[in-house]
Amino acid sequence: MQCDGSELAFRDNGMKNFARRALFTIGAFVSLAVLSFLGIDALPGDGCTALLGRFGTEAKIAECRVEHQLNDPVIVRLGSWASDVVQGDLGYSIKRDEQVAQIILPRIRNTAMLALVAAIMAFPTAIAAGLLIGRFPRSRIGKAINTMGVVAMTLPEFVIATVLWLVFSIWIPIFPGVTVVPSNATFMELLPHIWMPALTLASVVFAHSMRTMKAGVTTIQAMPFVESARLRGTKERVTLLRHILPAALPPVVNTIAVDAAWLLTGTFVTEAIFNYRGLGRLTIDAISDRDTAVILPIVLFSLGAYLTMSLIADTVVRLLDPRLRQHRS
Amino acid sequence: MNAILQFDHVCVEARDGNGAVTPILDSVDITVEAGEKFGIVGGSGSGKSTLLRIAAGVLSPGLHHTSGNVSTAGVSMLTVAPKVRQQMYGSSVALVAQSLGEALTSHLTVRAHFRDTLGRDVSDETILSSLDDAGLDGAKYLNRYPHQISGGERQRVLLALALVRSPSLLLLDEPTSALDVGIAADVLATIVRLQESRGFALVCVSHDIGVIGRVCDRVAVMSRGRIVEHGATSQVLTSPSDPYTRSLLASIPRLNVRIREPHASEQQPVVVVRDLTVIRSGSSRALDSINVEVGKGEVVGVIGESGSGKSTLLSVICGLIPSTSGSIHNANGFDLTTPLRDRPAAVLSEIQMVFQNPDDSLNPVRTVEQSLARYTHANREEVLAALDAVELSEQFLTRRPSEMSGGEKQRVAIARALLAHPQLLLLDEVTSALDVTVQASVVKMLASVQIATGMSMVIVSHDIALIASFADRLIVLRNGQVVEQGSAGDVIDSPSDPYTQHLVKLAKTNSF
Amino acid sequence: MNISPQHRSTRIQIFVYCVLGFHAVVALIAPFLPLMPTDKQDSGAMLQGFSSAHWLGTDALGRDVLSRTLHGGRPSLAIAILATALSAVIGIALGSLAALAGGWVDEALSRLIDFLLALPTLILLLLIASFFGHDPFILIVTLGFMYAAPIARVARASTQVLLARDFVRVARLQGGRGVNILLGEVLPNVWRVVFTEIAMQFTWIILAFSSLSFLGLGASPPTPEWGLMIAEARSYMTINPTAVIAPIVMLASLVLAVQALVDRE
Repeated sequence: MQCDGSELAFRDNGMKNFARRALFTIGAFVSLAVLSFLGIDALPGDGCTALLGRFGTEAKIAECRVEHQLNDPVIVRLGSWASDVVQGDLGYSIKRDEQVAQIILPRIRNTAMLALVAAIMAFPTAIAAGLLIGRFPRSRIGKAINTMGVVAMTLPEFVIATVLWLVFSIWIPIFPGVTVVPSNATFMELLPHIWMPALTLASVVFAHSMRTMKAGVTTIQAMPFVESARLRGTKERVTLLRHILPAALPPVVNTIAVDAAWLLTGTFVTEAIFNYRGLGRLTIDAISDRDTAVILPIVLFSLGAYLTMSLIADTVVRLLDPRLRQHRS
Repeated sequence: MNAILQFDHVCVEARDGNGAVTPILDSVDITVEAGEKFGIVGGSGSGKSTLLRIAAGVLSPGLHHTSGNVSTAGVSMLTVAPKVRQQMYGSSVALVAQSLGEALTSHLTVRAHFRDTLGRDVSDETILSSLDDAGLDGAKYLNRYPHQISGGERQRVLLALALVRSPSLLLLDEPTSALDVGIAADVLATIVRLQESRGFALVCVSHDIGVIGRVCDRVAVMSRGRIVEHGATSQVLTSPSDPYTRSLLASIPRLNVRIREPHASEQQPVVVVRDLTVIRSGSSRALDSINVEVGKGEVVGVIGESGSGKSTLLSVICGLIPSTSGSIHNANGFDLTTPLRDRPAAVLSEIQMVFQNPDDSLNPVRTVEQSLARYTHANREEVLAALDAVELSEQFLTRRPSEMSGGEKQRVAIARALLAHPQLLLLDEVTSALDVTVQASVVKMLASVQIATGMSMVIVSHDIALIASFADRLIVLRNGQVVEQGSAGDVIDSPSDPYTQHLVKLAKTNSF
Repeated sequence: MNISPQHRSTRIQIFVYCVLGFHAVVALIAPFLPLMPTDKQDSGAMLQGFSSAHWLGTDALGRDVLSRTLHGGRPSLAIAILATALSAVIGIALGSLAALAGGWVDEALSRLIDFLLALPTLILLLLIASFFGHDPFILIVTLGFMYAAPIARVARASTQVLLARDFVRVARLQGGRGVNILLGEVLPNVWRVVFTEIAMQFTWIILAFSSLSFLGLGASPPTPEWGLMIAEARSYMTINPTAVIAPIVMLASLVLAVQALVDRE
């Protein structure tokens, strides 16, 4: 077993235990969901104080709480919330006076589109770049891309976004700087506004996957079976794609999974800068508004995204390595 | 000149980042004719593997070719363009390297390996006939992955892959060093058969002169980058002229040569094992109802191949792994199935063990003195006395593992065990990773330590000649069971079990 | 594998150490340097470029950019160093003890590590920073726990590998006990790998805190902090770019230097 830091700590063996791991994932999700509910509930303030803010008097707040049943014991509220969620009702935001589902779902869709575009831009190119740079480390293009990658990974997101905005909105005005479409716009309307935030996000995740791929390729090609293939007469292209690539992929799969989850849930800064109406922007707004009814489903979505991606990554890694496929290893 | 391989005064050196230069090959001259079987024998560091790789035009990073010419199948391998070299692999020359790790790609089936070498459209028949030639019978291998077939089968697949396009030169680096004795013999027979039917030239490199003796017509002996002797195999092996060759041949353990005289032990046993069964992960029995006794001052040799349970036996006796059922007691009746952390210090120090891999036995960040004294709490005098017993000088006190050779590290490991003043010393293949000359001197040292201290020893090895020259009694293990036990002389001269007979016969054919 | 010429990589190494040294020194002695006060607003000289009074110009409120930039690393570095130290201690202890104990203890601790890894770190940070004000103590503790998990995972994996090695087995045979073995045999050998992970977490924490400040939830105005300064000066980038570029250069050079150091290992 490689000692690389991207290994997940799941320890079950074999495809036959997929059901068991899926069950564990669901169990983890449910317990984390309960913990999140309790945790957010424990934070100072609630939906009523969020609505009335500084202008609420004691009396008004008390009245509001009775109206929305916020005085019930925690367990009761947890139970009713849980049963609502299972039936598809994500709750009601007192502050925004809207069903939470109406608020969140369009945002999720927008962020998902953004994430998809960024993923398509970043991941395939990162794998290809990492593969080639790892195989031919001395080429000048390789070194240049490597350096760019390192720089992109160390610059904070808001710096990359700012620089891109400066270049592509001010100096060479190709893209609109600020998004003015409403959050339920169609995909085509949204498209021109996606490019820059997507490019920003892509820069951040590209470097991570590229470096992991490069490190993997460097390790793999030092292994005896690669040289053995070459000295038998296997062509270079075949060696690269059929022998090296599948062996170097597992750590990259894990990296991509973590970054894919991040693309869906962690893009606050980029969305803030470009004013993109996605989930990240909503998260910041909800947190500064102390709107706990909205915050909770967002947290659950984050957990779900991470856990699902981890499960998918684990499964893909098992498919790649025949040694892990047998249920008796 | 019909030579398929020609080395003319080839010099190669290693340069590290700090500018230090080490000679690896020193003015090497070799001529191999077409269809000839040529062997190269030497210890580690002799340069034999580098030589073979250079014959294939492979120069590892850090190595520099300073002079001389290498010509393989008429092509100057080190100066020609990489594309030309790549064309030759598989078609004119093929190299099967030492496969300590994986030489086959773990995520590809056997069929896929052939497809990558020959092209997508290679037929199954071609693959099957190639595998058949290499001694593998049946279509079942086509869809198997490397981890699903045994070590010997993997080596045969590698041979088949190397020969499938009929190269005129086959280079083999340690073809059987990772295999059990019986399987190794079969693989070598296959290699000889293939060479005779197809007529390619063969260059075989090994540290084991027995391998060379069975396969090659001509042999070159290498030491420290130079060829010290070469000639017809029969000539060199029976009447060597070079002193290094002579010491090499003299170091090989032989069945009828004893390093230490056998003693029968009358006294109370140091350890008694009754009905011991150990079941490891899964349901396989590593040890199955074993009964063994080791007398005071006695040396017991345990012979077995991989999977026989020999290492498990030692690990269970010293307490590193738990037993499943059965009993182990020491001379005082203490129950040795107690886990290590519950044993009193006096009992712990009674049994000590030395392991196989010299690179793993010592903590890389510690000096010899620290490693020796840390847990034994020995003072300086005792440490020096222990070093003396293992024939190491005082200057080793401040050395770190990276500054020592394999043999030196094993001696330190033995000294560390001695400092606990054990009554029983367990030795798990302690010389298997060492050159044969180093092995001979370490075994001699162990013999003198045993005679001086009178401690009991259990020596585990796959090399029956080595153990027979040293031990009082022999135990033969197979698949976790004791198939034969008796005094060393009896077991070797008149083995009763068919498996033992097979092992003894193999050992006799290997010696010359 | 490519081997870069020895002298070239040593020069790069020296350069990296210089950058890190510069940052360390500046962060420590900034308050003692003869600089303008960081919160002194000069309403007559807002958004000025280079001048003899203000070497790097002024920001939107007329404050000296040079002075604020040199002071700007202090909050992030202070929090990052403390949080990283906490996460290192927790992570190494958790990971190595899990590997040493084995059995159900290992299972339980591994699940705990998985749980910590699954937490959405940024959302949690936002929540805590937002609800509990700008209390640095709470922030340090939260960061310490959240970023301990990756370190624990690496420590556990490395320790497992080490414990299987023969010299550890010999230590056990000669009477070495659990924690003693851990400290004496295991940790000196896994330190390198774990340190790399710790250094990576250090850079993530710095970036996380600057991002928080950028969003207004970390350092609060008028504290000079790079993330905060970038947020404030962003809108005026075309008028006086130095107010944005100076903190970017400082932040990027610090993180790049740590990453370069880690890469070399």
